[in-house]
Amino acid sequence: MGQVELQSIHKSFGPTAVLDDINLTIADKEFVVVVGPSGCGKSTLLRVVAGLEEASSGALLFDGRAVNALSPGERNVAMVFQNYALYPHLSVATNIGFGLRRAAMSRREKRAAIERIARLLEIEPLLKRRPNALSGGQRQRVAMGRAIIRNPAVFLFDEPLSNLDARLRMQMRSEIRGLHSKLPTTTIYVTHDQIEAMTMADRVVVMNAGRIEQIGTPSQIYDTPRTTFVARFMGMPSMNMIAARYDGDALVLPDTRVPVPADWPERLAPWVGRELLLGLRPEHLSLRTSPGGVPATVDLTEPTGSETLVYLHHGDTRLAARTPPDTRLRRGDQVHLDLRLDRATLFDPDTTLALPTLPADPITKGETA
Amino acid sequence: MVSGPLPWLLPAVGVLGLFYLYPILEAVRLAFTDARLFDTETQLSMRSLGSMVGSSTLGVILRNTLTYTVASVVGQIALGLAIALLVVRAERARLRGTLVLRTIVLAAWVIPAIANGIIWQLLFSEAPFGAINSALRLMGASPVAWLSDPSNAMTSAVIATIWQGTAYSMILLYAALKTIDPALYEAAAIDNARPWERLWFITLPHLRAALVVNAILILIMTLNMFDTILALTGGGPGRATEILSLYAYGTVFQNFELGRGAALSMLLLIISLGLTMVLIALLPRDRR
Repeated sequence: MGQVELQSIHKSFGPTAVLDDINLTIADKEFVVVVGPSGCGKSTLLRVVAGLEEASSGALLFDGRAVNALSPGERNVAMVFQNYALYPHLSVATNIGFGLRRAAMSRREKRAAIERIARLLEIEPLLKRRPNALSGGQRQRVAMGRAIIRNPAVFLFDEPLSNLDARLRMQMRSEIRGLHSKLPTTTIYVTHDQIEAMTMADRVVVMNAGRIEQIGTPSQIYDTPRTTFVARFMGMPSMNMIAARYDGDALVLPDTRVPVPADWPERLAPWVGRELLLGLRPEHLSLRTSPGGVPATVDLTEPTGSETLVYLHHGDTRLAARTPPDTRLRRGDQVHLDLRLDRATLFDPDTTLALPTLPADPITKGETA
Repeated sequence: MVSGPLPWLLPAVGVLGLFYLYPILEAVRLAFTDARLFDTETQLSMRSLGSMVGSSTLGVILRNTLTYTVASVVGQIALGLAIALLVVRAERARLRGTLVLRTIVLAAWVIPAIANGIIWQLLFSEAPFGAINSALRLMGASPVAWLSDPSNAMTSAVIATIWQGTAYSMILLYAALKTIDPALYEAAAIDNARPWERLWFITLPHLRAALVVNAILILIMTLNMFDTILALTGGGPGRATEILSLYAYGTVFQNFELGRGAALSMLLLIISLGLTMVLIALLPRDRR
């Protein structure tokens, strides 16, 4: 019904390549979030799927059928735009019903459909208003209503929440997700907000500079990033990257040696004597009460209420640690850190790729496609 | 110490009063006299107004004015909109030459109206060098009496006026078109909207204010237009293309009837104001 397949899609504007060999298969009813920094090509990817941009080469298939040559209107997709793109001179009801203009329905059926959608989105009292008399969140709902009513094969969202304030964004996140479970439809959702990616997606596609860096479930992306880019981009604060030399049974840091777990030496045999990047999430760094571990100096603490983020440095390496809310530290304090190496990801500093065999993560084991 | 807005407004009020308000008041005064252009002695009289209203010519003149104004205004707006849409469309398709096109269209506008009249007189000319008739002859069609046939002359005058005035409405509407959010057209494309639906649901509603303002300005310019027609037909043949402004001009500068000419000018002013108010009522509420 709504399987979308991109086969080596390329797109360039003049000499600039915006999409470079994009291969992606999205299952029917799947909710896929495409995330990446601005300019990474994620919006272009969405517009190619919508038909608003033409791919320079490659095939776009809906349910196995090539749709490259179809106009946006013929593709049976619906799109929610960042600025909502509501027709300002039409009422909310007409905006929502716009896609039904040529549907084989009586006037009464159309009105019933509009009212059903309005009930679903809780905007019934607004149906007679014009878009400029609505708040941002209300406009967002109308834009979704306009998309939903056509019962499309694919929903496309282009950074739909970026114009809303933080509280509303959080609310709309769960509403969009709830809507998807009520009306399961293939959804491609583009955002630069990693929290949206983590909380909403069945699968996340991380893009950078026109390429796909990694495709996976949110936990795969978070726990086993495939590249240093993904590791740094996803997660707040981003993953700590510690340059270390592996000497056969320990990682050598500027001021200390960290012994490695028992199963590492076998896997890391080719890396003896070489530099590695040790990737560790801030929650996998903890403060020790007794000496030992990795010594570090506190630069800054950020109490957020539920936790306290501590920014530190060890040699030239800047680190961030997620600590309990009652942590009391001051700039310049000397502390000792425990590293949870069992949760670490190791990267090859030359290729920026994660080392293939590490770590054997109990959560994602066997789940990787 | 001076305070309040008055001192700041005074220079502008002074200039406007001297060069706009005073002549209008003077014309009103003259309309109530029997003044002639070269007579210094005038007295208050209703004769000018009376002879204007009673004249049998005035009906013909007003009908000419109506035909000429409506046809020219509608033509300029429609053609200006068409060219503006074309330019925007071409720009969106990243075609070359849109700047050249805009410049060419604008070139018509910077030509003085009197020169425009002369150019079109040459083009319409029924003499052997008349460009349009030569072209018609080349294509095997019979030539048209553009200017000498009273039933064609008005059409010719309207064509010449539209040709010159189109640039103005093109630029105005082009600017307004550029302010429309392109995402609206993309949303419409995804909603499978046909071209006329895009025009009807997005473009025209957005252009409403610009169209009305444009109509007001063109209306006033067209009502006051007389140099193009003066050069093209001189109001003829007969009175076939004589419009109110030309008639007022003739009354003052050929018949030297200053009082009656002033009365005709008052009539023109009243018509302009009346029609402008009608158009302002069509403006979207937030722009009034």
